[in-house]
Amino acid sequence: MTLHAYLLVSLALFSLGLIGALSHRNLIALLIGTELMMNAASLNFMAFNRYVVTDPTVGQIFVLIIIGLAAAEVAIFLSIILRLYRAYHDIDSEKLVELKG
Amino acid sequence: MPDIIVYIFVVLTLIGGIVAAVARQVLYNIIGLGISLLGLAGLFLNLGSPFVAAMQVLIYIGGITVAIVFAMMLSIAMSLLPPTPNMAKRVFAILSGIVFFVALASMIMGTHFNSVEPAAQAAWSVGQIGHALLTTYNLVFETLSLVLLLAIIGAILIARKDTSTP
Repeated sequence: MTLHAYLLVSLALFSLGLIGALSHRNLIALLIGTELMMNAASLNFMAFNRYVVTDPTVGQIFVLIIIGLAAAEVAIFLSIILRLYRAYHDIDSEKLVELKG
Repeated sequence: MPDIIVYIFVVLTLIGGIVAAVARQVLYNIIGLGISLLGLAGLFLNLGSPFVAAMQVLIYIGGITVAIVFAMMLSIAMSLLPPTPNMAKRVFAILSGIVFFVALASMIMGTHFNSVEPAAQAAWSVGQIGHALLTTYNLVFETLSLVLLLAIIGAILIARKDTSTP
């Protein structure tokens, strides 16, 4: 596979994540769309790391940082979901409109 | 790695992504995400980094996916009965996804990248990554550990039950 093929796969994954994040109403499904987009970004980093960059540690460290930040993000997001569920008994993004002007 | 295996990983990634993006049941979304992440780990392996592939399987599939399943179990009502889809929203989402894909794909195909020869095998070792993390990228490493600590504390603070209210 060439660099362009990897970029296209990563772009397709990002578009799927965008569709998932925009079309669902369940907060957990939104989180899954975001995860797909982050993984598309890490695939991009690894592909450029293999084909363009001369020092191959850079891209790998980028991907490790993305994985670590995703873990932190998921922990916070899930605790917010639990809190919302306890307060509203619902995690439908279209019903959480208390602050809507 | 033989080409056919790489294509199998690509197909796994894309099919998992499609299931994660369009399935109605949240459990199917999560399973699709897991399949997609597994395919990505295979692609990382093919791109020359077994360590990152192993971390992807360990942290993403073993940790994050399982945590999402737990959240689904703890907020079960909506996950079992998905709400009626908002058709306008779905159409808008799919249209914007397609527009985004076409725009960036045409841009990627029109760009020429100066590829270099892949670095020697020794430069890809775990030892090199560890050395770089503790010397050149030390600040990033420390910041990430601080962020993880804050995330743990914040998650506990947000999710705990309020005991002060009567």
